[in-house]
Amino acid sequence: MALLALEDLTVRFRTRGGTVHAVNGVSFDLEAGETLGLVGESGCGKTATGLAMLRLLPRPAGRVEGGRVVFAGRDLLSLSEAEMRDLRGREIAMVFQDPMTSLNPVLTIGTQLIETLVAHRQLRGAAARGRAIELLEIVGIPQAARSLRRYPHQFSGGMRQRVMIAIALALAPRLLIADEPTTALDVTIQAQVLELIEELTRESGTAVILITHDLGVVAGRTQRICVMYAGFVVETATTRQLFAAPRHPYTVGLLHSIPRPQATGIGELIPIEGAPPEQLTAPSGCPFAPRCAWRIAACWVDNPALVPLTRDGTVAGEVVNTGPQATHRLACHNPASAEEARAGRPLRPGFEAAPPPTDILAVQPAGSAA
Amino acid sequence: MIGSPTSAARRPGDAAAPYPAPGGATPLPPRPLLEVSGLAVHFPIRQGLFFSRQTGTIRAVDGVSFTIDRGETLGLVGESGCGKSTTVRALVRLLRPTAGSIRFDGVELTRLEGDALRELRRRFQMIFQDPYSSLDPRLTVEAIVAEPLEAHGVGTARERAARVAELLDAVGLPPAVAERYPHEFSGGQRQRIGVARALALQPELVAADEPVSALDVSIQAQIVNLLKQLQQRFHLTYLFVAHDLAVVRHMSDRVAVMYLGRIVELARAEELYRAPLHPYTVALLSAAPVPDPLIEARRRRIILSGEVPSPAAPPPGCRFHTRCWLRERLGRPEACETVDPAVRSVLDGHLVACHFAEQVGASAEQRRATGGGNEDAGWTDGGIGQTKGEAENPRSRGGRD
Ligand SMILES: Nc1ncnc2c1ncn2[C@@H]1O[C@H](COP(=O)(O)OP(=O)(O)OP(=O)(O)O)[C@@H](O)[C@H]1O
Ligand SMILES: Nc1ncnc2c1ncn2[C@@H]1O[C@H](COP(=O)(O)OP(=O)(O)O)[C@@H](O)[C@H]1O
Ligand code: SF4
Ligand code: SF4
Ligand SMILES: [Mg+2]
Ligand SMILES: [Mg+2]
Repeated sequence: MALLALEDLTVRFRTRGGTVHAVNGVSFDLEAGETLGLVGESGCGKTATGLAMLRLLPRPAGRVEGGRVVFAGRDLLSLSEAEMRDLRGREIAMVFQDPMTSLNPVLTIGTQLIETLVAHRQLRGAAARGRAIELLEIVGIPQAARSLRRYPHQFSGGMRQRVMIAIALALAPRLLIADEPTTALDVTIQAQVLELIEELTRESGTAVILITHDLGVVAGRTQRICVMYAGFVVETATTRQLFAAPRHPYTVGLLHSIPRPQATGIGELIPIEGAPPEQLTAPSGCPFAPRCAWRIAACWVDNPALVPLTRDGTVAGEVVNTGPQATHRLACHNPASAEEARAGRPLRPGFEAAPPPTDILAVQPAGSAA
Repeated sequence: MIGSPTSAARRPGDAAAPYPAPGGATPLPPRPLLEVSGLAVHFPIRQGLFFSRQTGTIRAVDGVSFTIDRGETLGLVGESGCGKSTTVRALVRLLRPTAGSIRFDGVELTRLEGDALRELRRRFQMIFQDPYSSLDPRLTVEAIVAEPLEAHGVGTARERAARVAELLDAVGLPPAVAERYPHEFSGGQRQRIGVARALALQPELVAADEPVSALDVSIQAQIVNLLKQLQQRFHLTYLFVAHDLAVVRHMSDRVAVMYLGRIVELARAEELYRAPLHPYTVALLSAAPVPDPLIEARRRRIILSGEVPSPAAPPPGCRFHTRCWLRERLGRPEACETVDPAVRSVLDGHLVACHFAEQVGASAEQRRATGGGNEDAGWTDGGIGQTKGEAENPRSRGGRD
């Protein structure tokens, strides 16, 4: 049995503008020690998925509307608040994009680290302090003992992120959810922080969900990837398979949006035109249709389900959820061929994206071009 | 050809020119649009509330020289705090430089004041990083884009409205957005509004300070392409600032790498990415993620130890010596700690400030960072979907040893 199984997770936010359909039936499994990338543009539901797992959705706006989160055999959504509190930090930890929002600004780093150790590890006094110093040393904070007395604002962004990692990994959790842990950082610091997460989790066998909007970041850091769009998983595969043979037009678009630092062969960037939908209603068709160059008439009216895929496009044999043999799955009526994925656009002669049905055209907002 | 930065040094009477004049090449190239030489911006550190006294100096920009030719894009990269924004703000005279010379189309900017400055300022504009805070939330898009026109008394109200419509169209926004407010737009759309405003006065030089850093990759690509297209259409010259090397590579003809208030390397873009000569550039390149799991599995990064030292107390000698991998490799030669390396021209027009730049060219680190050499090959033009086979996914996070 997998360490973590998300089954049809559905999250809604109630706002003044209406109900945001943030996460729409997301399912995936994760084995112990596995690393999964959760990738998509901002607003596509990555953070909401992470927060829902830990039951940290902002209240009262955010609510899990359906589905299950099964972690080590227990359904997290039905645990008591006390059981959940005990589990957070000890079994599942989360690192956020902006460490300032999760560190308490009026407490020293030492107090916050030691608090975690005392609460979960029954360490006291000097022992707790000693372990705290050790942890700061592990994450590369210079003058660890002195740093215990400092406040979060006295650290740079990269250092704060290290402190967060020290706190998150203090209890050797079985699952770490890292939500854009390096988006605000320089490449050099990004490399340091990701390397650190990788090293520490490898040692402890901790499974990692790495959330990011940049496919480039997860290329070398994950074993599998779920690509999300508008609250749906639209494509999932092993990292190698996804990069070698992306099929979903959105994945293809993301890949062609990334500038490459290579010395040669800088092709043109092919951006995904437009912007993600606001998700105030459930999509009537494929949520990506308004931006998709591959769309056919069916795309406007039928939202495709995530189904297994094999090389020749048919399902064959056993479907595998995790590990290096995980089945490539796709939610698309008209996937990109290998040549099209490489070119970044449809290549079939005379093919044109299907125009929206006239009634949809009538309600397209004027400013929907990004 | 786009002139090398050394062209400034060839003019007689320019004694302050920091670069050695190359031999050969006799005909004088056309004068660059922008010539910056020895630019410094220092901020005083003050202490005490009432009788504040200066207790130190932040050397945010500390002797920076470069030129930009007409129609060219110069990229400026470096880590947070290295002085990129301060350089840009000094160029557009949002800040008064402490020292140095800035010539725009031959006119010395640093001494210009009042109307003369205002008049010249029409010709260079700025785009800011943060599309959220750089637009006044109380103004409509129309008022925001028309603001520079009004400030310079350009046209009648009706002509200005027509110009705004034209600009919005140029940046890919429908005319209806004119009546709306910034908060109604996504980050990418707001950046388009910022670009429209910057273009209102038909500037020649546009300094863009991290214009895509706050955006998702998908939207980044839209803005990068838009900026390139506008450059063609309006014959713009760009100074393009970013901390992302790949984005800079895409935008720029030449690239300058900054570290602690100085330019440590400046070369044509292909050259810089193919054969970086400063240990810092090599480290930056090696840290940049490559969107290809097969390449990532083979790469070995140079992890720079520690963080950038404070510009209030830059290290003596070479400013990079506290984090330099090459210095370690060479057994900590004394020169690194005692002698501030001058900017020198190594190959034609390839400028570098390192005593041992020649050693970088021969290092395995350079080969690995750029993908050259055989043992780590693979950093070629490999596009999407070209990494055939190997779908069996070995534990890819274990790529380094
Ligand atoms: N007005 C100011 N007063 C004092 N120090 C300043 C001021 N503006 C900038 N600095 C300092 O000067 C140095 C360079 O800052 P600058 O904003 O130019 O860096 P940058 O390269 O643009 O960095 P980033 O990538 O974070 O935007 C920093 O150490 C900064 O703290
Ligand atoms: N506290 C909140 N209140 C209302 N809507 C929210 C809240 N947090 C997120 N949302 C909405 O839910 C959707 C998914 O958001 P999020 O999970 O944060 O996306 P991501 O992490 O992928 O950027 C978005 O449409 C977002 O606007
Ligand atoms: S082809 Fe159709 S189903 Fe596939 S992504 Fe495009 S719009 Fe969606
Ligand atoms: S001069 Fe010395 S310390 Fe500076 S970059 Fe070169 S090798 Fe490194
Ligand atoms: Mg998020
Ligand atoms: Mg800046």
